[in-house]
Order: sequence, then structure tokens, then C-alpha cells
Amino acid sequence: MAKHKEKHHQKSVSKPNPFEAKSPKPGRADANHNHGTAAAAKKKKNKLGPNAVAMKHQAPPKPNPFETIWSRRKFDILGKKRKGEERRVGLSRSLAIEKRKNTLLKEYEQSNKASVFVDKRIGEHNDELDEFDKAIRRAQRERQLKTNKKSKYNLSDGEEDDFEFQSLGALSERDDFEDDGLPEDEDDGTETTKTKKRLAMTDQMDGDLMEGEEDRPKSKKEVMKEVMAKDKYYRAERAKDKEELEDFRQELDKSFTSIVPSKLLQIAEPEMKIPNEHSKKDELSEQEKSRSYFKTFGNLVMVSRAQPSDRTKTPEEIAQEEREQLEHLEEERQKRMLATDVNSDDDNEDADTPSNQKPRPISGDDLGDSFSLDEEPHIKKGWVDEILERKDASDSESEEGDASEDSESPEDDSEGADKDINLGEKSLFMKDWEQSDDDNLGTDLDEEEEEDVSEAHEEDDDADEEEMEPRKLKKMKKVDASEASKKEGDFLDAKKISQDGKRPSTQSDLPYLIEAPKSFEELGVLVDNLSNADIVLIINRIRKSNAIKLAAENRKKMQVFYGVLLQYFAILANKKPLNMELLNFLVKPLIEMSMETPYFAAICARERILRARTEFSETVKNPEKSCWPSSKTLFLLRLWSLIFPCSDFRHVVMTPATLLMCEYLARCPIVSGRDTAVGSFLCSMLLSITKQSRKFCPEAVMFLTTLLMAAKDRKPVASQNSQFCHLMEFKAIRPLLCIHASVGQVDPLNFLTIMDLPEDSSFFSSDNFRASVLVTVIETLREFVIIYEGFSSFPEIFLPISVLLLEVAEQENMPQVLTDRLKDVAELINTKADKHHILRQPLQMRKQKPVAIKMLNPKFEENFVKGRDYDPDRERAERRKMKKLLKQEAKGAIRELRKDNSFLYEVKARDKALMEEEKAEKYGKVRLFLQEQEHAMKSGQLGKGKGKKRRR
Amino acid sequence: MVRPYAVKGKKRKKKADVYDRAEEEEEAAAVAAEPEETETEEADKKRSQGNEAEERNGNPIELEGIPMAPAEINPKNGPGAIFILEKASLEVAKVGKTYQLLNSDEHSNFLRKNNKDPALYRPDILHQALLMVLDSPINKAGRLRNVYVRTAAGVLIEVKPYVRIPRTFKRFAGVMLQLLQKLSISAVGKREKLMRVIKNPVTQYLPVNSRKIGFSYSSEKLVNIQNYVASSENSADFVFVVGAMAHGKVEADYIEDFISISGYPLSAAYCITMICQALAGKWNIL
Repeated sequence: MAKHKEKHHQKSVSKPNPFEAKSPKPGRADANHNHGTAAAAKKKKNKLGPNAVAMKHQAPPKPNPFETIWSRRKFDILGKKRKGEERRVGLSRSLAIEKRKNTLLKEYEQSNKASVFVDKRIGEHNDELDEFDKAIRRAQRERQLKTNKKSKYNLSDGEEDDFEFQSLGALSERDDFEDDGLPEDEDDGTETTKTKKRLAMTDQMDGDLMEGEEDRPKSKKEVMKEVMAKDKYYRAERAKDKEELEDFRQELDKSFTSIVPSKLLQIAEPEMKIPNEHSKKDELSEQEKSRSYFKTFGNLVMVSRAQPSDRTKTPEEIAQEEREQLEHLEEERQKRMLATDVNSDDDNEDADTPSNQKPRPISGDDLGDSFSLDEEPHIKKGWVDEILERKDASDSESEEGDASEDSESPEDDSEGADKDINLGEKSLFMKDWEQSDDDNLGTDLDEEEEEDVSEAHEEDDDADEEEMEPRKLKKMKKVDASEASKKEGDFLDAKKISQDGKRPSTQSDLPYLIEAPKSFEELGVLVDNLSNADIVLIINRIRKSNAIKLAAENRKKMQVFYGVLLQYFAILANKKPLNMELLNFLVKPLIEMSMETPYFAAICARERILRARTEFSETVKNPEKSCWPSSKTLFLLRLWSLIFPCSDFRHVVMTPATLLMCEYLARCPIVSGRDTAVGSFLCSMLLSITKQSRKFCPEAVMFLTTLLMAAKDRKPVASQNSQFCHLMEFKAIRPLLCIHASVGQVDPLNFLTIMDLPEDSSFFSSDNFRASVLVTVIETLREFVIIYEGFSSFPEIFLPISVLLLEVAEQENMPQVLTDRLKDVAELINTKADKHHILRQPLQMRKQKPVAIKMLNPKFEENFVKGRDYDPDRERAERRKMKKLLKQEAKGAIRELRKDNSFLYEVKARDKALMEEEKAEKYGKVRLFLQEQEHAMKSGQLGKGKGKKRRR
Repeated sequence: MVRPYAVKGKKRKKKADVYDRAEEEEEAAAVAAEPEETETEEADKKRSQGNEAEERNGNPIELEGIPMAPAEINPKNGPGAIFILEKASLEVAKVGKTYQLLNSDEHSNFLRKNNKDPALYRPDILHQALLMVLDSPINKAGRLRNVYVRTAAGVLIEVKPYVRIPRTFKRFAGVMLQLLQKLSISAVGKREKLMRVIKNPVTQYLPVNSRKIGFSYSSEKLVNIQNYVASSENSADFVFVVGAMAHGKVEADYIEDFISISGYPLSAAYCITMICQALAGKWNIL
């Protein structure tokens, strides 16, 4: 009991009283306070005795100075409203004491009492009422009681009587005060019961559904009645439901008839004349109506819904897709070039590691944690660079083409932009092809590729062809992004050929479905004595009729056919009068087929390279015989460089092919003028291969140098650079390219014609030939200079060459064009070498970088809120919060208990002191009495008054 | 009240005085025993070798075979510098429902409503100044001892020299907000305190033989900071008192010497940069 009370106190104390918390108003809070102090004064009154009455009328006592002190804030935080901010600690303390006096003290005082006086006067416990209000309430109560008594004798219904009695009984037991609000309640209660009664009556009238409140068992009659009522009720319910359903159906019908003539159904069922039917509906019988309905229903079920279709792509989207594809391909190529592949092994390991493993140095302004850039920007940039580079390259190529093909037709010039170093080959082909065909084929190659394609499509009347073309186009693009434009040219050529090849095919009777030839002889039989166009047509038909996609075994067939075709190509290339046109035609199907069977193509190529290598190593032993590669080998090498990606760091075909070419350049002795031409062709091929990957081919550069040496007279060779002298001796070079007579004009070299020429032709010893070889040499060298610009060993490689170039330029009969070019390249080399020299730094001691102290990042939360637990473990945070709350509560309770105890102790001490005082007083009195008695006895006097008097 | 780990309280106490003690120990060691010094030298050598090895392993330097220049002497032994940023305007207020660090850009309306001058609320000055101090080479070289920040309200904050101050102002404001409410900021992944609110006055944390230099545009004594720093005593620590406020003058009674280093009123950040450069020149830190 006591404990419970205490708890109650705590609560009431710990909750800040709203009146106390507010700033002191002169109203109630003060009154309350005064009341408290008055009570305190009352207590004192007992002691002070007669003065008390006078004090009561004095002015209210001065407020406790401690209560006027407000709590101080440590930091004034703008915009913050604290709950306990405006608390006066002194005041709240005195209020708490006051409260204890009212509750705890009372309890304490009563704890020793056996009986309790309970004050049940109305309004006595309610502090808010003043005396007048209390009086009014009391009067009210009295009057109500009177009226109630009177109504007791009024006759009325049983229940009401009963209730009245009950309420009276309750009233008699209840406390006056608690019944304050009762009268109104009473009225409400009676009213509600009345309405209840009425409701019950009506229900009974309806069908006795409501069960009586009485508990007595029902009679049989009543039960039956109930059952009947229920039955009736359910029946009525069912009828009602039915009616509703009917209504709903009618409504639906109506809406259906309104829908039927609408457009929707007409679209679905055009042949049905529903509107007419609808108009005649009245006359039609019910059956017919329903039949027509079901008919429509069935039709509607059968009607398929509109299917969503792929929307046609806009040209922008198509272009975007293509571009993305190209980008993707380029990215892959870049990756392969960097040789980060898994299959790329030992020797490129050290090449790729540092870029990935090197920890990125953190700049001073780096954000530190979250914003780290993980992606390496150089890959992306590399792609863009690549494109720019390609543009540059093509530009330079076109320039070169222009330079070397001054005399050629303008069409060839435009073509030249798209082609590589082997211009001769291509240009020849172009010429033939133009002569043989009508002029609508001479479309501008500068036009957009897309346009060409569409044009070709228009011209193409064969449906099959039309289907095939885009697919091919796609494949062509897959080959290599860098070679796309070149191939496009090929592709166009081929297509045009297929066009004009169609014309004769309608005349001649070539079979349409041709089985793939299994051996070279079979192919020879097929293509024997046929025109070039027909051969291409045959090959195309073979490919189409044996397409890999058609059957599984076709792959095998096609692989065999590929081998055969390659052999055919090789043999064609070796024929003395070169069938250049056919060779060119064959390139396209070969490329496409190697796309289809890449592994087999690679195997074929490797096999052939191996064979060429062994052959070469045999022939090189024989010093008499020229060991330079045959035209077959050259053509094959060129073909592979078209088929396979050249820029890969490591490629199964291209790497050995490049090595082979280099070996040719390095080991073959230069004997005749033809050798120089072949060698320079190899150099230009190497250049085209290494252009993108920027691999260093020392053999090519060396070969070009030796050719330049050969362009010099014998005499001045000696002192300056022993390096080249040594080379001369090694190669046993003669001044093959030394121009003796002045040359009128320098023609560009046509490689194919040279290849066709016999080895001991007089052309090779003509000054014209020498000049044109020199031109190609110089241009190739210029390209190499541009490619190898970035090498740190650039000056060491090229500076001697520049000296040599200048020397060659000084030659007597050198034509003006050549000297200009020679000087130009020498100048280029010198400027670039200077640049390198500037950047070079002398060897110096390696400095130890001072080690900075380790910095630590501060840990903080975004939107920090004080008091929130930022523990990521929610459960733990929750637990901690609860613990905190518990501890807080416990502390509060302990504090309250302590305060209660100290209060009680004070009271007890006071009581005890009072008692002591009383006791002492009593003791004094008694003692006085005894002393007096003793004194009287001793002095012999008996009277009190007398004694006193006497004493005084 | 809520202290999840029992170690916390003790640790802080230890931290508070570990600084001086370490220094004292070092001094004692330097005075007392020669062989110890050699030992430390050896340790230094070892460390440098370790670094080299690390470099070799981690990121190979292009000049592989060339011998290393001798490592510098340990910079921690020399005299250091302490910066005190006075009158920094760091004030937290409840704007709307959240607490925010007041700054003139975002809270000008709020400040005007509360009858405050928005021009005085410039925590960005402190941000810049702290960046300049803590990014300076003298700090990287380990010569910065401590940075103290005293706000306009008188709250004293200790900033450890190895704090990496957030680069963006927003994050800085976040850190400062948390610091002013939680009274300390720990490192990411460590329990070490990087910044904390400490008791005034700041003089109790300053080394005994330090030279306390205040900076003010209003000072009559206009000096070249390079010469001034170079001519001062070599062994003594420097204490630089710079104001991190928009207007006004530093008023601190512990300052021994009030100087002005430019004829123009400088920003706090630039003033600190000049000081750091002068110090770097004096101590030969590049």
C-alpha cells in the first residue's frame, strides 16, 4: 500500500506541473503557492500562540528568494526550444515539498491511527472549485434527491422502476463528490433504455426476431413462432436478392445493346449487320435473339487481340546501334593490342602489370573516401585517340597516294584514300575494272557507304541477293574496324561484279546448285575456261548452296572448299601473267569464309607460313639463287594481313607472318633491282601491319637504310658511319639505286608490272625505276618515322638515317622532287629527335621521396542528430536505448525515494524534537514540584504561596 | 552514461598527457644515452630500407639500379609549430527541425530573424585555414604539433595534425556539427580521437618554451615573415595565433608578440600559407 502511494508521488512529482513550468502568472499558480505558504503558516501558528491571529491578516509573506532563481543555460543555441528550459529549480523543489506535505505527511500522520476520517462533502477534494461553487453544487444535489424521492411513488413500467431503484441504491452507496455529473447521465441512461425498449417492441411486432432478455426457458409456441419468423425472413430476403439480380441483368442488357452498334464490334465482325438486327429486334423471337447473341459472343472470343509489334527503327537508332557495335569492336581490339588477354603468356606479363597494379597517387585535393574513380580513363580516351589517329593516318595515306600517283586518274586518287601501300595492285585492278564495265559503276567512293549500299540494293533485283547483302555487310564490319573502309571498297567491288556477273549467267548455263569441290582438281574442272565473273559467281553459288547454316556437315565441306580456294588463290598468284582481276575477286569470298571458319583459316595460314619458312631456310643456304619471296607468298601475306587483325599484341597468324617478313628483309641478299622492289613492298606491308600497334621492326628500317646506301655512290662511303659500312659489307650491296643520268619525271612504281617482268629485264637498271623505288623508300621511311615517333630510342634509330638521307640528296643526278623529299624527311627526323633530346635528362641520383605522415579520415554521419545511436547493429542500439531508459527511470525512482525518506526523517525528527521538548518540560515541571516539596519539607513550611513569598 | 566499452574513459585520460610525457622521454633519452641514439639511427635506416623494399615490390621506380640518397634526419625531433585559430565562427543552431552549422550563405534569413548579423557566420574561413595548415608540407613532414580552434563562443577544439579535413565545405560542416554536439570525432576504423572539445584556457596545452606570435593587420609591427621566422630562436616551438573570423581582431592575453606580415589585410588561409612557407624555408622542407 505504502509502496504504491510512493510510486504515485514520484509520478506526480517527476511530471512537471504545467502551471509551475510556466512563467509565473499572477493567477492560479500564485494562489496555489500562497495557499501552500498559508498552510505552512498554520503549522507555525500553533507554536506562536496568540500572535497567530494577527499574522493571518498581514500581507502575504515574501516569496522564497531561492524560488525566484531561473535555471541557466550553458550554451544558447539558436532556434532550440528546450523542454526544461524555463524551469526554476528552487520553485519546483518547494513545490515538491508541498506535495509531500499533502500526501506523504498525511499518510504518515494517519499511519498510527486506527480509524480514518473521510471527508465526503461535495467538492471538498476538488481544488478548482471555490466555496461558492461548492455551495451551489450541494444545493443542487439536495434538490435532486428530493425529486427522486418524490418520483419513487409515481406509477410507471416495471423496468423503469427497477432502474430507478437501482440508481437510487447506487446513489446511496456512492460518494457525494463522485456523483457530481450523475444527473445528466441518469437522464441519458433512461432515454437510451427507453429507445431500446421501443426498438425491441417493434422487432417483436415484425416477427419476434429479437430474443427476450429474460432468461426463462422458451415455450414451444414461442419456439415455433421464432422458426416461422426466421423462415419468412429468409424467404423475403431471397426474393429481394432475386429481384436485385434481375435488375442488374436488365441493366447489363441495356448497356450491351448500346455497345453492339458501336464501332468496336463492327471492326471485330464487319460482315455481321448488328445494327440492323438491333433495329428489328422487337419483331424477332426470343430464341433468335439469344442465338445472335451467342454468335456474337463466339465471334468475339475468336477475334484475336492486337499484338504489339516492334516499332520500326529510326535511321538515327540504326546508326547508333552500328556505332555502338563498332565501338565495342574497337574496344576489344584495343584490349587485345594491350595483350591483357589470359592466353597471352610470359613475355607480356610485365607489360600489362604496372598499369593495373600501380597504386594511384592521391592528390592533395582528392575527396578521400567515397568519390574514388575506379574506372581507368585511358581506355576510353584511347578509343577516341584511335579514331583521331586513324583519321590522321588515312589523311597521310591519301597524301601519300596523291604523291605517288600523280599521273593516275582522279578516280584512282579518290580510291587511294581508302587503300594502303599496295596501291599498285589496287589501282591496276581499278583500271581494268573500269574499262571492262560501264560508267554507272564509277560511283564516287567518297560518298557515304550507306548510300552506296542502298543504291546497290535498288539496282539489285534478286531477292535473295538483297537478303544476303546486309548480313554480309555486318560480317565485313566485324572483321576489323580499322579496315572497315578498305573492305567496304572490296565489298562494293564484289557486289558490282556479282551484278554484272548475273548478266552472263542468264545467258550461259551455269548450274545453280553446285556441290562444294573436295579437291583442287574438281575446282579446276569447274572453273576451267570461264570468265572471271563466272568464276566468282560459281564460288558464290557454292558458298550459298553449302552454307554452314543450312546443314551441320556443310561446315566440313566448306572447310575443305576453303582450303581448295586458298590453294587456287596461291596458284593464281604464282602464274606469270597475273590475273589480277580474279585475284581481287577472290579476296572477298576468302575473307568472308575465313570469318565463318576462323579456326580453320588460322590453321591453314599457319601451315602455309610454316611451309614458306622452311622453304626460305632452304633457299637462303644457296647463295646463287634469289631467296626473295615469290609473288604467291607476297599475295598470301597480303591476304592474311587483310583477314586477320594486325594490331593484336599476339596473334596466331599475324605474329609469325610478321616475323617471316622481317626475316626475309633481314636475311635475303639484295642482288638485283627486282629485289629492291620486292623488299620495299615487304617494308610497306610491314608498315601497314605495324601502323596501329606501333611495333618496332628493326629489319624494315635497316632494309630501307641499306636501300638508301645503295642509292649513294661508292666513293664517299667510308669514314663517317662505320655502322653502315659494316652493313654494306654484310649485304654486299652494290650501288643498285644510284641514279646516273638525270631523270625527267618520277613515275610511281607499279608493283604488279614489276612482278610480271622477268628478272633480268632492262627496266630494272633504268634510272626511272631507281627513282621510283627511291620515292617509295622515302615515303615508307617517312611513315616509319611518324609511327616510331614515340619511342624513347627514336634519335638513336633515325638520326644516322637522316645523315644518310642528306648525303643521298647531295648526289649529282638526283631529281629535284627526290631531293626535296629527302630533305623533308631528314628535317622531320631531326625535329623529332630534337624533341626527344630536349626531354632527356641526365643520369642522377635517385632521391628518396620524403614520407608524409599518415593522415586519418574523420568518421562522421551525414545529418547527425544528437542522441541517435549510429550503431549499425539495430538490435544492439535498441537494447542500449532500453537500458538507458531503464537506468534513467531507476535513477529517478531512487532519487524520489531518497527525497521521500529525507522528508519523512525530517518530519520524524521534528516530532521527536517536539516530544523531547515536551518531555523535558514535563520533567522540569515534575522536578520543580518535587524540589519544592523537598524544600518545603526541609524548611518545614507547608504552604506553597507562603514559601514563595518567603523566598522572595 | 552510455559507454559501451569500458576502456573509453581511461584511454582519453591517458591520451591527454601522453604528449608531453613522450617529449620528455625523448629529451631525457637524448641527454642521457648516446648508444640509444645510434639505435634510433639504425631503426631509421631499417625503415628507409623497408620503404625501398616496399617501393620495389609495389611500384617499381624507373631508376632501378641507382643508389639512394641518404634519408633525412627524423623531423619529429626538431622544434614544431602550433597553430591557434581564434574566434572561429562555429555555431550550431536548430534550423527547422535539424541542427545545422550556421553559415552566411544558407542561413541568412534565419540569422536575420534571430537578430544576428549573417556576415559574422563564416565557418568557411576556418575550413580554408584548416586545409591550408593541414595540407602544408610542414605538416606532411611531421613538424606541426597541433592545431587549436577557439570558437567565438569560447569552445576550444583540439585538432590533431594527422586529420584529413574533408575537402568539401558541406562535409566539413557535417564534421563540425557532429564535433560540437558529440564533443569528439574519431577516425574511420579506429577509436582514436582526431578532434575533440577540450577545456579552456588554451595556454595549458602549449609547450613551456614556446614563442607565441599573434597576427593582426592592425599591428604596427610590420615584418617580413621569412626573416622574422628565420631570426627567431632555433630550439623553441612556435605558436601562431591567427584569427579565423571575418571582422575584428584577435584578443588573446597569452600572445607575446603581435605582428603584421603584409601591408594588406590578408585572408586567414593566405596568412597561414605564408607562415607555413616561411617555416618550410627555415626548416628546409621542400
